[in-house]
Amino acid sequence: MGLTNTPSDLLPGTLELLILKSLVSGAKHGYGIVEHLRLASDEVLRVGESALYPALQRLLLNGWVKAEWGASENNRRARYYTLTAAGRKQLAAERAEFDRMVGAIQQVLTT
Amino acid sequence: MTTLFHRLRHLLRRSRHDADLREEIEAHRALRQDAFERDGLSREDAAHASRRALGSVALAADDARDVWAMRAVESVWQDLRIALRGLRKSPGFAVVAIATLALGIGANTALFSIFSGLILRPLPVRDPGSLALLLNGTWSYPIWQEIRAREPELFDGAFAWSAQRFDLSSRGQTEPVDGAYVSGQLFDVLGVTAIRGRMITPSDDGGAATDGPVAVISSRLWRQRFAGAGDVVGRRITVQRVPFTIVGVMPPGFFGPDVGRMTDVMLPFSAEPLIRRQESRLASKSSAWLQIMVRQRPGRGLEQTNAALRAAQPQIIEGATWSRAREPLTLAPAATGNSSLRSRFETPLFAMVVAVGLVLLVACANIASLFLARALARRRELSVRLALGASRSRIARLLLIESLIVAALGAAIGLAFAKWSGALLVQQLSTWQTTVSLDLALDWRVLAFTAALACLSAIIAGVAPVLGLKSVAPGDAIKDAGRGIAGDRRFAVRSALVVAQVAVSLVLVVGAGLFLRTFASLNQLPLGFVPGPLLVAELNLQASGGPPEERGARVERLRAAAAAVPGVRSATVAAERILNGGGWSSGLVGIGDAQPSLRRPALWLNATTPGWFETMGTPLRIGRDFQDGDRLGSVPVVIVNDTFVRRFLPGEPPIGQHVRIGRDTATRYEIVGVVGDAVYATPRDGMVATMYFPVAQQQPKTFWPTVLLTINAAPGQRAAVERDVMRVLTEADPTVAFTFGTFDQLVEATVTQERLIAMLSAFFGGLALLLAGVGLYGVVAHAVRARQTEIGLRMALGAAPSNIVRLVFQRVGVLIAAGLALGLGGSLWAVRFVETLLFQQEPRDPMMLAGAAAVLVAAGVLAAWMPAWRAARLDPATVLREG
Repeated sequence: MGLTNTPSDLLPGTLELLILKSLVSGAKHGYGIVEHLRLASDEVLRVGESALYPALQRLLLNGWVKAEWGASENNRRARYYTLTAAGRKQLAAERAEFDRMVGAIQQVLTT
Repeated sequence: MTTLFHRLRHLLRRSRHDADLREEIEAHRALRQDAFERDGLSREDAAHASRRALGSVALAADDARDVWAMRAVESVWQDLRIALRGLRKSPGFAVVAIATLALGIGANTALFSIFSGLILRPLPVRDPGSLALLLNGTWSYPIWQEIRAREPELFDGAFAWSAQRFDLSSRGQTEPVDGAYVSGQLFDVLGVTAIRGRMITPSDDGGAATDGPVAVISSRLWRQRFAGAGDVVGRRITVQRVPFTIVGVMPPGFFGPDVGRMTDVMLPFSAEPLIRRQESRLASKSSAWLQIMVRQRPGRGLEQTNAALRAAQPQIIEGATWSRAREPLTLAPAATGNSSLRSRFETPLFAMVVAVGLVLLVACANIASLFLARALARRRELSVRLALGASRSRIARLLLIESLIVAALGAAIGLAFAKWSGALLVQQLSTWQTTVSLDLALDWRVLAFTAALACLSAIIAGVAPVLGLKSVAPGDAIKDAGRGIAGDRRFAVRSALVVAQVAVSLVLVVGAGLFLRTFASLNQLPLGFVPGPLLVAELNLQASGGPPEERGARVERLRAAAAAVPGVRSATVAAERILNGGGWSSGLVGIGDAQPSLRRPALWLNATTPGWFETMGTPLRIGRDFQDGDRLGSVPVVIVNDTFVRRFLPGEPPIGQHVRIGRDTATRYEIVGVVGDAVYATPRDGMVATMYFPVAQQQPKTFWPTVLLTINAAPGQRAAVERDVMRVLTEADPTVAFTFGTFDQLVEATVTQERLIAMLSAFFGGLALLLAGVGLYGVVAHAVRARQTEIGLRMALGAAPSNIVRLVFQRVGVLIAAGLALGLGGSLWAVRFVETLLFQQEPRDPMMLAGAAAVLVAAGVLAAWMPAWRAARLDPATVLREG
């Protein structure tokens, strides 16, 4: 275990993009987001809390997600994050940008 | 934008947000623990592992929180709290610093609010920027009518007014208020609307208004005299003994077109004939008594307007007799209204604003010195902060924030002080017969000025400790504790401050000396009469409505009634009230058979009843006083004074000579007596040539509407005499309106301005001296304390106490000498600005400068004596052991 894949390992803004994407399927709390990313990436992406929470705060600050207190699956109080309309738009934009970026990198690597 | 909004909301609800964050992270950990437990770990191990996986909650929370923070705001907020805590820890220092600044900023704000109210603030009316005043002085009503007739083509509106002193009493003693006759357009052009009823309108100019004679009053008068009654419109008000109907109340804050007066009652010009009756000046082309203001047309420059006005000048001034009317008519911008006070007070006010600014500088230097001493005393704390990683700029900011807090608190208290002291100062300007009223509202100008002062003080006071801080290095303070020796550069800043203080104080003391001596010389001027026992009552004869022809007999009846009151030694009448800055004069004088020719300065004139000179205490040199036999029909006689004889009849026997004055070349006045000199318009003019007529020979048609009853009463009985005379005057003539005063008050009124300047400058000089003394004491005491090891060493090596005292004084002497040299230079340069305010003073009088320097040296020696004495009594053994 341990903390791998701190933000500096990813392209800038990628963590936010991943968080936004993981919220598309529904509201999640912080731990849920970490788990979702871990499982969805076949255990490759393990996001540490020290990266996750600042990123979540940035998303809140920009108004891309909303946070609400609710009960978790095993009845703990947890804070659930939901995508806002602005968040969806941002996700689309960042996704396009990410595709462009990855495409560019691919191109460089294959020549 | 939304981000900023989010940030601000976060700032306001920070503690709630922090709690949320902490709880959220803890929830995260708990969820992970649950997962570990599901994976088969024991509860305890799971808790442990989850905590380890999470790392530091505090750090994570901090990192997350930083996303929101506006770093600068947060750290300033933190500094503020540290600074406040620091100040609370040394309340003595805080109180002294805040009080000094409150006094300094308050005095500055007070003077500035007067300066601003009198000179800077635009009239509180619609678009004051387009108003223009017809220069220079007053005009006649026919001229105003000519201008009004041309208003549509020349201006965007025009109005005229005539400032008056109105009496609101219905019998006996007067109740004077400031008022004005105004043309109907005034309120409309200024855009001032009534808060009750209506304002005066052009329909009132005709005089045949449906309401009868109408008046509008100020809100102040409404509140004070009518207790803010809701039904004030329609009530009666007596003005100059004529009943008027109140038709409206002016809005609060509107004081009329004259700055410095509170115009409480405004009457239309059509009311003037009701009050002055036969002597109405409405039709007169020769009397100038009203002022004219216009609103310029938008888009038309003042140049064009002036040119258009001048094109019509020949018709406008037709019939005017004064030469001024033939100079080109000139309109000048009048956004700030009209004020006779402005030219009078501009220079002294400016001088006082500068003086009080200098006092603030001295005060700031003191506070800077205090802050510096405090910063040095806190070297240990500050160097620990540095060692713990605070940046130097952060420490500097902390010190500046401290001084800013002190300055802000000082400014807040100073504002309250200014409100009070400004009103007090304005009150001092009012005299027996003129009331100065100034709107001292704390408007944006005054507030901006105060805020600027506070910032400036904070910077001046805060920069010194920052400079002094240069010598602080991390961990350094722990090594040395008060082992400074001579030449320590840390004292350089404070010494420079003391030199500046001494220099500025010297300038202020020199100023105070000059103004005090000016006031003293004015007070010592010979008057030519003895004011002590003299009571005066100004009698207004116009109010009764009787024709001028009856006035001579009424005056005689009133005079006789007053003379019969017990305690009255004599009661006589003069036509002119002397010592009011002006009077009755003639520039055309002819002696013997010569035709009257132009003389400068003009000959002052007055008319008296028999016995006036004796009442006044003015000696009769030769010839005789007026007698009952000098009346209409007998030979016209006059009495002249010594200066008249010296000037017009040098070396000739004056008695029996003949004098002609003015354009009336037919009447030859025979000189029957010569009296001693006396002052006339103001004591500043000295003794002036004066000629007196008998009251009884005045042409009845032109008898004065007001005369001055002069009463010589036995000392100690003044109050009783005043009361009894008032009673008999009302009995003898129920319609007469009178105002009582003493001759001392008249004399005092001539030096109001000088007295105020002398008082203020003495106060400022004294304050600066005190502050400089305290500053000097502080720096010497501090130096002695810091050098006590060295002093102890010197004493241990055999220095006598007197040597130590000399050592300390040498240092003080250098500071004072440097300050004096700077101050002398400053004084010699600065006096040029106040020269016009001085009277009979040589502004660069070496004795004066030496005296001021001596005062400062004395203050310096006094301030240095205590610490020097203490140094000389140090026990070397103790000092060296402790050191």
